Amino acid sequence: MSKPYSIAQRVKTPIAIVNERGGVEWYNDAFDAVFGWDSTDWLKEAARAVAGERGWLQGFFLAADEQRTIDVDIEGRTYRVDKIMPIDEYAEPAVALIFEDVTRQREMEQAKSDFTAQIVHDLRGPLSGIQGTLEFVLSQEGAKLDAVYADLLTEAQRESERMMGLINEILDFSKIQSGSFSVESEPVRVAGLLKRAVRSLQSVAARDEVFLLSAHGRDVPQIIGSVEKLTQAVINLISNSLKFTPKQGLISVGAQIVRNGELPESIVITVTDSGVGIKSNELLQIWEKYKQSGSKSLRGGGGTGLGLYIVKQIVEAHGGEISVASIEGVGTSMVLKLPVRRAA
Amino acid sequence: MADSLKQHGAWHTYTKLVEARNAYPEDLALRGYVEIVRNTVVRELLGNPKGLQAVPRLSAEFLTNFDRFNLSAQEGYLISLIDGRLDLQKLLILSPFDPFNTLFHLAKLQQERAIAIPQ
Repeated sequence: MSKPYSIAQRVKTPIAIVNERGGVEWYNDAFDAVFGWDSTDWLKEAARAVAGERGWLQGFFLAADEQRTIDVDIEGRTYRVDKIMPIDEYAEPAVALIFEDVTRQREMEQAKSDFTAQIVHDLRGPLSGIQGTLEFVLSQEGAKLDAVYADLLTEAQRESERMMGLINEILDFSKIQSGSFSVESEPVRVAGLLKRAVRSLQSVAARDEVFLLSAHGRDVPQIIGSVEKLTQAVINLISNSLKFTPKQGLISVGAQIVRNGELPESIVITVTDSGVGIKSNELLQIWEKYKQSGSKSLRGGGGTGLGLYIVKQIVEAHGGEISVASIEGVGTSMVLKLPVRRAA
Repeated sequence: MADSLKQHGAWHTYTKLVEARNAYPEDLALRGYVEIVRNTVVRELLGNPKGLQAVPRLSAEFLTNFDRFNLSAQEGYLISLIDGRLDLQKLLILSPFDPFNTLFHLAKLQQERAIAIPQ
């Protein structure tokens, strides 16, 4: 046995070299202890399956040099399967895989997520009550509030909206972290979605003295995805723009169709502002979690640094792409590209 | 990009960016830059001291020599609405196009001197 193999033999984590048919070419002692040499039918089953959860093994053979990690449920436990490297010394193409048991970790993450969801739910209830009360008081035309009190109440309303935004971001982030962030497959009317997103923030934009305009026609094709999550992504982007766009500035929300011949292939959604812009060295980092722009929000208060990270997760869960363009002192445009999936 | 805007203005930069976008339709950032410049153009139009109450009117040049203007269908429709009485706010209501693109087409008509929007 060569030196690398004898080292791998002693590692306490299961390692196996598996071929495309699910056959085990080599395994270490830990693999034998956990799964048993004779009880690897799940590998052959994974190799036979061509789609769905059981088809995970094929993924390791699609791109030979690509690093890949997949969480797989095997015999009641969850294993994080990592491809170490392709192996070409057997009759068939094979890969060395390492199986890390992450069952406990997943349970902890789920417990953390459940706890966060409960806390967020408990916080949202009273906060909704505060928001409703403030909205009611401020909307009473006959109340003739003293200007100072009206300003204070408006400020309280602004801060309560910000707090609600932060709470929602934490909830979404905990869902992403726990892996329970799924995307529904329902028809999404993009034009209606953008209209709703713009309408929901029109009063905030008016209060901040920022123009918020739709920049799309009605003939935008439907896509398949989650109306709720995509609306949230667009609202996150508009909210972000509102933070950095000065008074009398402009935010436009548009949609363009990218065609392949006659057929629509994808939809590009843009949220563009005339804000302060983003420094070029920060452009690549803005989608990272906890990353805050170096530019200061013009409306005061920071955020969780999760808003754009969540947008990226939503877009990628829809099989889309995301990009950003910015000119310092001129404005920023967030660009989402979503595929138009047609029925087979 | 900032230099191009400063040196050559928004319309020249816009034309160059649209050419680039047509050549590289998959480049998402390029689409973003086009939108930033379009936003700048509309923002300048909204910066008119009269705001949406400004009343566009047809230019003398358009009235005497309209063959010179190579208008798109949208621009042609919008120019047919301009009667020297309707302000931008009313044109937005009457326009079948979305608010942003209506203002963008009006800004383009102003740039081509087909209409004038007094300040």
